[in-house]
Parts: sequence; structure tokens; C-alpha cells
Amino acid sequence: METIQRINHYTAYRPRPFTREERATVTILFGGLTWKHERLIQGVMHNLGYRAQPLPNITRADLDAGKELIDVGACCPTIFTTGNLVNFLKSEVAALGRDEVVKRYVFLTAGACGPCRFGQYHESYTMALDGLGLRDFRLFLLAQNQLDQGATHGGGLEINLPLSLGLIWAILCADVLTDLEYMTRPYEVVPGETDRVMRESIEYLYDVFRRRPQEKLQGGKLKVFAWHVLTDYFTDALREVRKRWDTIRVDRLQVKPKVKITGEFWLQTHEGDGNYNIKRWLEQEGAEVIPPPIAVWLDYLLHSPITSEEWKGAERNRKKIALIRALEHIYHFVYNRFRRALGNLPYELPDQEELKQLAKPYYHYELRGGEGHMLVGKALYAYRHKKAHMICELSPYSCMPNTMSIGAMANVLGRYPDLLYAPIEIKGDAEVHALSRCQMILTEAKRRAQAEFEDALAKTGLTVEAIRRYEERYPEVQRSTYRIPHYGYAGTAANYVMHLARKMR
Amino acid sequence: MRVGIPKVLNIWSTHQFWVGFLTALGISPENIVFSSDTSEDQYREYGKGRGTVDCCYPVKCMSGHYGELIFGQKKKIDILLSPMIYSLPSFLRGHVLDTLTCTRVMAGPENIKAGFLKERDVFAENGIRYVSPFVSLGEPEKVPKQLHLALKDVLDLSEEETVRAVEAGYRALETFNQRMRQKSREILTWCARHDRPCILVLARPYHMDPGIGHEIEAELQAHGFPILWMQYFPIDEDLMHWLFGEEIRAGRIKSPFDISDVWPSSYSSNTNEILWGAKVAARCPWITCVIRFSSYECGMDQPTYTPTQKIVEASGTLYFKFGDLDATKPAGSIKIRVETIVHYVEKYSRDIIRRKLAALPPRCPLLEDAASTSESAPLAA
Ligand code: SF4
Ligand code: SF4
Repeated sequence: METIQRINHYTAYRPRPFTREERATVTILFGGLTWKHERLIQGVMHNLGYRAQPLPNITRADLDAGKELIDVGACCPTIFTTGNLVNFLKSEVAALGRDEVVKRYVFLTAGACGPCRFGQYHESYTMALDGLGLRDFRLFLLAQNQLDQGATHGGGLEINLPLSLGLIWAILCADVLTDLEYMTRPYEVVPGETDRVMRESIEYLYDVFRRRPQEKLQGGKLKVFAWHVLTDYFTDALREVRKRWDTIRVDRLQVKPKVKITGEFWLQTHEGDGNYNIKRWLEQEGAEVIPPPIAVWLDYLLHSPITSEEWKGAERNRKKIALIRALEHIYHFVYNRFRRALGNLPYELPDQEELKQLAKPYYHYELRGGEGHMLVGKALYAYRHKKAHMICELSPYSCMPNTMSIGAMANVLGRYPDLLYAPIEIKGDAEVHALSRCQMILTEAKRRAQAEFEDALAKTGLTVEAIRRYEERYPEVQRSTYRIPHYGYAGTAANYVMHLARKMR
Repeated sequence: MRVGIPKVLNIWSTHQFWVGFLTALGISPENIVFSSDTSEDQYREYGKGRGTVDCCYPVKCMSGHYGELIFGQKKKIDILLSPMIYSLPSFLRGHVLDTLTCTRVMAGPENIKAGFLKERDVFAENGIRYVSPFVSLGEPEKVPKQLHLALKDVLDLSEEETVRAVEAGYRALETFNQRMRQKSREILTWCARHDRPCILVLARPYHMDPGIGHEIEAELQAHGFPILWMQYFPIDEDLMHWLFGEEIRAGRIKSPFDISDVWPSSYSSNTNEILWGAKVAARCPWITCVIRFSSYECGMDQPTYTPTQKIVEASGTLYFKFGDLDATKPAGSIKIRVETIVHYVEKYSRDIIRRKLAALPPRCPLLEDAASTSESAPLAA
């Protein structure tokens, strides 16, 4: 018999195991969110005995590093996040040597279920590792739709309820605080106050997560779950945080257009060079930004299996739907508790069913990838409920799903020509072009905010001077934590006028 | 009742389903109209100004197909059927994580229809019902419900009728695929018997559209090399066992259709198939050359470029990529590259065949095949 000659066939990257024993010495790297979310996540990881460290915030240099090492044509989030890891590893290799880096760090990233490149991020990462000569560096994927995946890859990381719930709770807390931040900073009287208080609040909450009582994380899953849902541990902490925000004075008579940010998940969440720092830029241009909470995305992930279960239609599927609905209920309950602890200032979560119905004529809700129908749904939601003057949709260059929903928006705009919509393509290195496009639409948004404000004054018969006098007598209305209800105007100043008119009556 | 179907994207791999489905509902084949192959003229005449966003060419050109069905028919159509195909009935199903379509494939119709609705309802103006069922062709149990919901009013359908028609659709598709695979097997057998090379195309199904793939493979075929498309590669057990049996026994993979050794994130149907095709090419001796097609700004292909090339080249098989294909056929550069490919295939095929044969078990089922011993070279599947 002839002997078979071997050909070394290609195999994909497989990480070496990360063992339990290594937990004390190996640092888990992660990234991709804002510094606030990441710091709280770090608290959760430290609480569970992991060494964990977020990657440095994304910079322009990461784009170049990413482009150099992965195949051309990647979407900009892929390039930025890969480049971010690359630059960190490069600097660590220079400081510690490659063997030490490979030993000392592992990288954990969200993955799975991505019909677009999101599910394939790790391909780019491994290509980059090859390019760096670090193929033995360990990289792990965290499926974002499973709370309990058990111990993975050698047991170094255990994806269980205490970890998953910790991560979700950390994200929700960072979300509600981010809302507070963005509704305060544009109106702060002393520049820099909001940022300072935000930093202090996050540090305080980091500690709250780091000190999650161990005894509450032991025992059955139901017990761990119930504690997270019902405990005052987190709400008390948020109330404490609120006190710090009480001290910030704001001037809500500054008329500013409200700009709702939507777009691709990574790009809209990010705060930094990765999206031309567009949220800060908008603030500098005189806008109030409504940041996109990650909570809406998690809600979408939770809600979307319902439709597919409905298609199947058997008894077993109906039970599953009931369970999902119950979980959704609990999820909203938790989020609303967090909002209440912050004086109901953070925005409520939009109803997923409503988003679905709003988007329905334009974009089918079962179309997956990116934010699916939500981009159309959110734009219409903000427009219909007068939540914002303008939608700024951040669309990554070369993103697959996002281009589709932007195309579908043409149909929406045909129907609602006065919806102010600015789809901004983000390439990472074409800042001037993107921002000037945004500016054009922002000009009209400003005009509308001003018109609303004047309308409110006319309607109420108030004058700015009268309001100022009232503010002097009742300084609490100038607290950042003083809640202004929605009176049907998108703008803060106009609603403020309406509110004070009622108070003065 | 005349039904027009834009011949775009994954209609290229499922058209037999749609024909089978509609004929089972009593619509005669001559009343099922597909738009023509993609062309620049088609886009210029019917699609211009209707695009809503810049993206990959296979999606962008859809406006031309829609327009041609609306404005360019001698006998008007009554229904424009443009399914949102969410998943595909891939032969890899069950061996991979999922068989979803590209997010642009599934959502393409929502994007393109916007161009015909944004100012006024062009469909209604032309007396056409626009129907775009969301359909998970990869999960046959869901399909009758999905199609019934979308079509019941337009075609006056009962649930039972839909169930039967869906079954007929799948049968038609399966028969067609089997016929094509059989044809490919004949070609491969001919190559094996004559110790001759053939070329495998790794591409998305719609690269078979002359306006999208630009018939590059035909130019190679004109030089006498048989062409196989990965989509219709024979998947008979004997052949699969010969190519992958060793690796299954060694525990590297679970089945011939397991691609987890090269592509762990196996969600996307066409991508999975491309990766599988690369594996086949790396192993099958008579495939001495792979040509890879990819469209301008294809986001799905982007992460696969390097792995595919590495898989193919690991066994010394030749690999050539034609990337960034868009509306215009780069005739000059294709000609030069085809000459290069021909040169390499002629020069190295003997060695490649020998080396790959030596790495496989001795009894090749193709050489033992009694069937198809045609002496003249069959050229394309
Ligand atoms: S949604 Fe778009 S930008 Fe985000 S990973 Fe997918 S393709 Fe890239
Ligand atoms: S697979 Fe590529 S070419 Fe096809 S629709 Fe998706 S992005 Fe476009």
C-alpha cells in the first residue's frame, strides 16, 4: 500500500486554555464600550476575583494600526477595535517582551450570532495577532445572548449568573448615568462640573460593584437572580450618586436643539476618535445630545426571539414566549428602578413592540444585523413623540446592515419630509466632511428649537426676566437633578418654560 | 396573473424553488418572469436615480431589475415578488452554526423598494402589487406560514395549498441541485480519468450573473479548462469520504461538511460554502486552481480573503482573486490575468495533482466510476 504523504492543511486560530490557576496572574483585557461602562465592568470582574483591565480609549492611531494588519474593506468598527488591541499589545511587548505579554494577558470580546462582521471580529483579531507574531496570545469570545455558558476554555473564566448579571447591571447603571451626564453638561453653569461629578460617580459605583456581597452571589441561580432584581444595594448607591449631581447648577434657558444619536452599535456607543468624538462636538456646536443606551440593544436581544417562537406556534413555544415576556418585564422593572433612583431623569426605554410597529412599513423587524429595524423605529419614535429635533445616525463606512436601513429611511423621509435626519458616514479619517454634513442639518434643528422656545414663551406669556426672577427665589429648579416633564416640545428650554409657567400659576 | 421576480442575489441559488412554488399554485411557467441578467444598460435605463445608498454592486444593481420588471415588459406583470430571504437551504446545514444570508441580501428589498416609493408609489401607479415575503428558506418548517401570510391576499391562498406548493418548491430546487452536482461529478470524473486539471470557482451564487461575475470563468474555459462552481460540487458520500475520511478518523472534523477547523463563526450560508469550497479545493487533486470572485465593497467576503487563500494554498493549489468587481467589466486586466492563470495552470497542474493524490487514500471513487466515460471534454457545470 502506498504511504499517504501529509499536507499541512490550514486550521483556524484556537486559543490555548486559560486555566483557573492562572486567574491570579493573568489579566483579562476587554473594551469596545465607553470608559464609564468599562470601569463598572472592571468592578464586576474584580468583585469575582479576576484581574481585568479595559483597553485604552480608541484613538486615530488605532485606525492606522488596524488597517495595516487586516484585509482591506473592513467596516470601521472592526478596524478601530482591532487596531486598539494591536497598539496595546505592541506597547506591552515593547515594555515586557512578547513571552511575558502572551503569558500575562488574555483578551475577551463579545461575539456570536452576528450575521454581519460582528460575528467575525475574531477573524480580524487573529489576523492581527498573526501580523504581530503573537498567535499564541489568547483571545476569547463571549456570546452576548447567553447568561450562563459555564466555565470556558480551561476554566479561567466562568460565564455564570454572578458574572452575567453583574455585567448587565453595570451596563444599565452606566447607561442611566450617561443620560444624566448628557442632559446636564450642555446647561452646566460652571464648566467642567459635570465631567468631574461623572468621574466621581463612576469611581464610587466601581467600588459598589467591586464590593457586591459575596454571600448574595452564592447558592442557586434563582436566588442570585432574585437578589439582583430586588435588592436596594444598587438603587441606594444610585441615590447616593444623585446627591452628588444635586450640587450641579444648570441654566436651562439656553436654547439648544436636541439631537438623538442612533446608528451602528459600536459607533453610537463610542465616545472618542472612533466617531470623531461627535457627541462632544455636537455639544460644542450648541446641541443637547441624547446618547444611545446599551440597554435598548439588550432589550432588543431579549425581545427578538419572540417573533421566531411565534412562527413555530406550538404550546412549548407559547410557554417560551411567556417566559421571555416575563423576563422583559423584570428587565424594565430593574431599569426603571435605576431611573427612579436618579429622580426619573434618565430616559425611559422605548417599547420594543412600538419600535417594531413603527418600522414595519419600511423595514421588517426580523431582518437581523446591526440594529435591524430599530434604526428606522427609533427615528420615528423620536419624531412622533417629539423627543428630539434631529436624528444623527452614525453609519460606519462599509457597514452592511446599516447601509440597508439608511436606504429604507429614504422611504420614511418621503412620508415625513420634516423629520430631520442626518446619516453620517464614519470612516475614521474624513472628519471634516462628516461634521460639515451634520452641521447643515443642525442649523435647521437650532432654528426649530428657537421657534419652539418662542412659542412656549408666547403661549405662557412668560419672559426670560420673569423666569430669572423665579429662579432666584426657587434655586432648586436650577439643580441638574430637578426634573422637567415633557410638555410636547422636543427642546429642554421650551419644556422648562412650560413647566415654570405651571409652577408660577 | 403574471409574476415578476427580480433575478438578483440569492434568487440565483433558489430560483427553482420559486418556479416550483408558483407553478404548484397554478401559475403557468410563461407567466413567471425573471428580469434579465444584470447589465449597465439595464441600470441606466430602469434603475438610475432610484438608488438610495451607496453599497456593494449586487445590491445596487437591484434597482435596474425592479425597474425593468415595472417598465420594461411587453406584457405587464401583476405582481412583483422580491423575497427577503433570511436563510438558505444549504447542504452544510446541520454541520454549521447557521445558514443565514448576508444582511444586505435579506434587507436588500427594503432598501430598493424605498427608491420606488420615496416620491410616489411607482408600483401602484403601474398597477403592480409589490410583495416581499420574509422567508427563512433554511428552515422549511417555517416557510409555509411565512409565505401564506405574505401571499394569501394577493394570490387568494389557503394554508394547505401553500404547504403543498412549498413542498413542490423544495422538490424542484433539490432536483435541480442534484442534476447540477451530477454534471459536476461527470466533469471531475473526466478530469480524474484523463489526469487533467480543472478550475474551481469560489464565489457567491450571483457571480454567475454575467453582469456581476463578468464571465471571467468563461474566458478560462475557452482555454480548455473545465470549470466547476463550488455551489454544485458533487457531495456524494464516496467522494466526500475519500477526501475527508482521514481527517474525520483523526478527530479533526466531525463530518465532510464540518468547517469548524477553518471557520468557527459559521453563521453565513454563502460564506460557509465558500470556506468549504476552499477546503475541497485544497484536497481534491484535479482542482489545481481556484478563482475567487468578490464584488466591490462586499462586507461578507472581507474577513474571508486571507483564510480562503491560506486554505487553498496550503496544499500548493493555485489561487487567484478577482476582487472589487462592479458594473464595468475590466476586460483588459481580465485578459492579462487570464493569461497568467493559464500559464500557471499549464505549468504546475501535473505536480499539484500528483502531490495531492499522494496525500489521499488510494482508491479514488472517481477512477472507479463506471458512469460517464465520455471522451470529449465536458466544460462547465
Ligand atoms: S453592524 Fe456594520 S459596522 Fe457593525 S460589525 Fe456589522 S458590518 Fe461592521
Ligand atoms: S455578500 Fe457581499 S456582495 Fe453580497 S449582498 Fe452581501 S455585501 Fe453585497
